[in-house]
Amino acid sequence: MALGKLVKWARLKSPWALHFNTGACNGCDIEVLATLAPRVDVERFGILLKPSPRHADALIVTGPVTRQCEQRLKLIYEQMPSPKFVVAVGACACSGGIFRGCYNVIGGADRVVPVNSYVPGCPPKPEAIVHGVLVMLEEARGA
Amino acid sequence: MLALALFCDWVERKLMARMQNRMGPSYTGAAGILQPLADYIKLFSKEVIVPRQASALLHVLSPILAFTIFVTSIFFMPIDGLNVMGNPGFEGDLLLVLVLATLAVFMIFLAGWGSSNPYSEIGAVRALVQFLGYDIPLMMFASAPAILAGSLSMITISRSQRIPFALLIPWVFVLFIIVLQAELEEDPFDVPHAETEIVAGYETEFSGGQLAFLKLSRDLQVVYGASLTVVLFLGGPLGPAPVGPAWLWSTLWFSAKILVVIVVMEAVEASCARLRIDQVLRGNWRLMIPLAALSLVLTALVTPWIHGVTGSV
Amino acid sequence: MRPVEAEDLIGLIHSKAADAVVKVTNPRPTRIYAEVKPGCHREVIDQLLEGFDGLGISTITGVHDRNQIELNYHLRCGGNILTLRTRVPTSEPKIETITDLMPGAILYEREVKDLLGVEFTGLVETERLQLPDGWPKGVYPLRKDCNLDEVSLQTNGGQALEGSNNEETLSELGNIEVVFGPQHPALHEPEKFLFEVDGERVIDIKPRLGYAHRGIEKATEARTLLQDIYLVERICGICNSAHTLCFCQAVEDIADIRVPDRARYLRVIAAELNRIHSHMLLLGSAGLELGLESLFMYVWRDRERVMDALERLTGNRVISALNTFGGTRRDLSPDVAKSILKDLSELRKRMSYYRKVFEEDPTLRLRTLGIGVLSRASSVRLSAVGPVARASGVEFDVRKDDPYAAYGEIPFEIVTFKEGDVYSRLRARVEEVFESIGIVEYAIAHLPSGPYRVRVSRTQPPGEAVCRVEAPRGEDVHYVKTNGTAYPERVKVRSPTLANIASLCTMLRGCFVADIPSILVSIDPCFSCTDRLAFLNVQNGERWSLRADQVSRLRGGRDGR
Repeated sequence: MALGKLVKWARLKSPWALHFNTGACNGCDIEVLATLAPRVDVERFGILLKPSPRHADALIVTGPVTRQCEQRLKLIYEQMPSPKFVVAVGACACSGGIFRGCYNVIGGADRVVPVNSYVPGCPPKPEAIVHGVLVMLEEARGA
Repeated sequence: MLALALFCDWVERKLMARMQNRMGPSYTGAAGILQPLADYIKLFSKEVIVPRQASALLHVLSPILAFTIFVTSIFFMPIDGLNVMGNPGFEGDLLLVLVLATLAVFMIFLAGWGSSNPYSEIGAVRALVQFLGYDIPLMMFASAPAILAGSLSMITISRSQRIPFALLIPWVFVLFIIVLQAELEEDPFDVPHAETEIVAGYETEFSGGQLAFLKLSRDLQVVYGASLTVVLFLGGPLGPAPVGPAWLWSTLWFSAKILVVIVVMEAVEASCARLRIDQVLRGNWRLMIPLAALSLVLTALVTPWIHGVTGSV
Repeated sequence: MRPVEAEDLIGLIHSKAADAVVKVTNPRPTRIYAEVKPGCHREVIDQLLEGFDGLGISTITGVHDRNQIELNYHLRCGGNILTLRTRVPTSEPKIETITDLMPGAILYEREVKDLLGVEFTGLVETERLQLPDGWPKGVYPLRKDCNLDEVSLQTNGGQALEGSNNEETLSELGNIEVVFGPQHPALHEPEKFLFEVDGERVIDIKPRLGYAHRGIEKATEARTLLQDIYLVERICGICNSAHTLCFCQAVEDIADIRVPDRARYLRVIAAELNRIHSHMLLLGSAGLELGLESLFMYVWRDRERVMDALERLTGNRVISALNTFGGTRRDLSPDVAKSILKDLSELRKRMSYYRKVFEEDPTLRLRTLGIGVLSRASSVRLSAVGPVARASGVEFDVRKDDPYAAYGEIPFEIVTFKEGDVYSRLRARVEEVFESIGIVEYAIAHLPSGPYRVRVSRTQPPGEAVCRVEAPRGEDVHYVKTNGTAYPERVKVRSPTLANIASLCTMLRGCFVADIPSILVSIDPCFSCTDRLAFLNVQNGERWSLRADQVSRLRGGRDGR
């Protein structure tokens, strides 16, 4: 029905993101930030970086999830109102990456929250990150 | 009016983006013009979470109230020569409008205060303190065009401006814009609410529809501020109306002038860092208020001379 | 003043502290190792402090060796590293603290305590530094016999304890879980600082680190030396070049590998490009923190040139992996060299514009001049490093003091400022970018021909080495000990930001609460602390917590809580 389609259109065109670093080396984080800069400029797609989880639709997770951050990650996810997505950026967020097996590391965001999109790379280029988000949105549109 | 608010939101974002060498929203509708619409529809369709410890009544009501009050205050603006209610307003409606705005900001403050989250509270307090502080010079500056036009009715003030007051009393105009920047919480007075930055201040705990109302209030506040400037200093809806209905042209002129004001504000915002709250408040008490008093006196002195020169009443 | 030579240090030890020291060795011109008798380390340090006023402590390495724990105090003086070595029995690991003599050592002692279980008597702050709060007592990850498979965090009713008492008090106050959240587009690794405020002034501050603690040092022991290059690289994505360079140089030192000249120059090029991108990153982040978003956008747009240059040179934008044992992995072709030079000359023009912005923009100056001052004396006493130290007038740059790679042959200036405020620290970085551009241009112009790599065997002879480089944030120290296999015995890394935390605390004491974010960003924290700050109002004992970005709106005290 028309209203449903309108709402769906709005949700896909206005995905606000929250970025959380769970103990990453900062490599992925700076590439996430680089998506805001003029070369890539994700605001073109309506993506805005928001401070509060209550304002966000997408959670961008970087880092292998250290034990200290595990609870935080869960908490943030719960505080986001639905519908929500999670994007795991970087090898560490996907699976723990090079830190898999380290004593203070849980290993991958999907051990803590459900992940919708995995963007591998160490770190992935900003274009790859944006691609990961857009592909996820496209699939959501089809669903 | 809502459309105007959304349009202004889009203008602001595109302008800011361009000034930062970026594109800004581009794919939602032609040139991204539907972006604000998408944002609001999305917000309304999200799950609403009211924090357990927040006052549910305040949390739900205050954003709506803030929004409503701003809408009401804009209703009184003579956008197309008449205000929305179809009459030419009344003597003193300028004051009404200013007071309504203050009330609306108070609602916003309550919104933050009722969130039972220390960040929201602090953001709310900051917003209120900044607004109230700068409200004093704002009212003083707003009185200047009233003095010049000899009336407190907005329609009269705007009709008296065959030559826009911005040119007749430029010192008031410039200072008014600066104070407006502070009232609207734009850089460099961004302290309580950073639009492009992250922190959420009083908006922190709001989600879904409530957030939408808060944001809409914000957008409307911008329209309100710009409208006020246009009415007081730029001649309101006055402008040549070559062909077709007068009200159409009035609306267009009014809107065009609003856009000019917004461009100026965005330019200032893009090029300034954010001042600390104590710097903002100090600047108000030590600088702005004395300047406001001074310029009011100056305006009063100059008025008879201006009337004589321009032949207006 | 004549620079301090190794002989001076050895001479002083022999003359003033002869009976405290068992043996002194000098395996390389600027590296001295002194075996100190148990309990005598304070005496030696005391004498050294009296004799040399530029003495600083770089880090303390603990190495567990069956029934004793070896403690290496790496002191720096002039261009030398003097390592005082002493031992404590594992059964009773107690030693006196040196923090009263050298306050800059506090975080290093706490780290050794946390990870190895050594007790420093007289050490005042003893909370956990790196390990999470729920970590079981008595389990010390860096001990060789530590069984990590059975570690589970102590839980509190099924939920892992997170945060210290502050958190519990907070929930009593009825605060909503405020999210630990981003909010700073400046990347950061989550860290926590506890501030004691009185009204609007900060009285004291306690850092709680460890949110990004991944157990890298332990992990290096389970991987071969070659694999460790890639692990060490990811300690910090931003200054990754410095970490690999330092690590490779340490291993090359142990194995006596001579790196070809061309490789030494290539390493310099990669390191300097790394520095440029890091400084520009920081300038953009400072813009964000200070509310000047346009600065962030412009600087990061120009920074993309450097990222492209890095990609052409190394194959990857951020994590370059150019350095390897015996040289570099890739060569620089003339085409790539030409394009890099072109990019750099464009960059020079842009940096001149930014220099002007810093000098002239009134709102920026209002927020940065005179704020967060670190005096020269404090800087030395607390062993600050990098642009933070240089902006306070201390001429400390590892590239000049203890030249490595090809820095000894390349002319450049050390950038110093006198005021030590936020403005100086930011300006120092702007100027350093100009110097770095000059270094890269010189290196490309004088690039020696020849091989860029020598083959190195998989195992290395047993030995140890301390190496340091000037990372963008300051002195980065690696201590590597090998045991004749392909796996290292111990790898210790002290990255520059850790060295600056003590100085950060000094800068923050007495400042306005609202200035905290700008001071934080000015030290260019690699584990940025902008996400969580906890406050303690000394007057009524109330505790609450804020995000740093929230702090920038805060005036604190009177109106805010």
